[in-house]
Amino acid sequence: MYEELRTLLIDDLRLTESDLRPEAGREEAGLDSLAVVELSMLLSERFSVEISDEDLLEAATVADIADLLEQQIRRAAVQKQPS
Amino acid sequence: MYNMSPADPCGAAVICGVGYWLPPLAVTNAELCSRLDTTEQWILSRTGISTRRIAGPGVATSDLAVEAGGRALKSAGSGTVQALVLATTTPDRPCPAMAPDVASRLGLTGIAAFDVSAVCSGFLYALATAAGFIATGVADRVLVIAAETFSTLLDPLDRSTVPIFGDGAGAAVLRRGSAAEPGAIGRVVLGSDGERHELIAVETGGSRQQSGYFRMRGREVFRHAVERMTAASLAAADAAGWDLADVDRVVAHQANARITAAAAAKLGIPEDRWAQNVREVGNTAAASVPVLLAQAAASGFLAAGHRVLLTAFGGGLTWGAATVVWPELENIT
Repeated sequence: MYEELRTLLIDDLRLTESDLRPEAGREEAGLDSLAVVELSMLLSERFSVEISDEDLLEAATVADIADLLEQQIRRAAVQKQPS
Repeated sequence: MYNMSPADPCGAAVICGVGYWLPPLAVTNAELCSRLDTTEQWILSRTGISTRRIAGPGVATSDLAVEAGGRALKSAGSGTVQALVLATTTPDRPCPAMAPDVASRLGLTGIAAFDVSAVCSGFLYALATAAGFIATGVADRVLVIAAETFSTLLDPLDRSTVPIFGDGAGAAVLRRGSAAEPGAIGRVVLGSDGERHELIAVETGGSRQQSGYFRMRGREVFRHAVERMTAASLAAADAAGWDLADVDRVVAHQANARITAAAAAKLGIPEDRWAQNVREVGNTAAASVPVLLAQAAASGFLAAGHRVLLTAFGGGLTWGAATVVWPELENIT
């Protein structure tokens, strides 16, 4: 999931590739408060998961955001399964 | 249901003149950084704005409106107007409306004149109102002005609003014409969401008073601005029978360069088709769309035959969009 997130951050949010390391902090990676809103909207569009700006702002690093995305996708998949 | 689309060949509103006016006093990011806790880089990267124009002491919103209105009338050539619809959230005084005064100063005493308040979407609301006047026979020609001095509303120490807003005025003249001719305004798509009135507000004078200043909740505004302008643009293009790929130019409210970039990406309309002036003038609220329209027409960025999409979003919340095939216009200043 980290690689998919990384591609989206570079291609769609136009963040600088060299600033994007898993352990990079949110601001260090270039994800300011407005980019976080864009990211939340993009994740909803591309992965059909709703992650709020507030939850994204709490993630300390790029890897934490990837983990958050992975959890939400897994949760959405479980909810979709017929009972 | 009454169909508000301009199907009647005698009742369409056609743009026949535009004009704008910006006060001469320019304030740079460097000047703001000397009094705000921020940096030039922070302002530019968050907003895309490097200077904004400020009316300054002794200059009122009506002064800007008269300048812009006079220029639009000149661009429209001979012939008078029977109505003035003036969009503003920063009128000279709470009562009476500013439009009658502006009309008189333009030598138009006696015409219908009133204000419309829809914050940054004000010009599109005023445009729809003016088109309605033409469709219903109230007037054959209408002057629409949007004028703002948001600098008068701001907390001078608020780094989240002071760098963003500038003052200015833009105007257009509409005349009765055919829906099929260049300049005819397509169906104006408008909407509002009062449940989110607190996102962009001046809370003052009541028991809920927080401060006398304008406040804006940036992240939520960003999200709603992108989503609402995108949806309104789609609806307006659809009403005109256009695919988004057919859109040659977009004139969007210049709230913040990041908002227009996100809306461009979401709509899939390349950014080089979007008129831009936010870097030089900032967000001039209701004046933003008509100032940009007049500047883009004057520079040739809008050319006759271009399919142009207009869209705006503002406090209320309010939003809107409209289409127009750009007409041949002269004397734009």
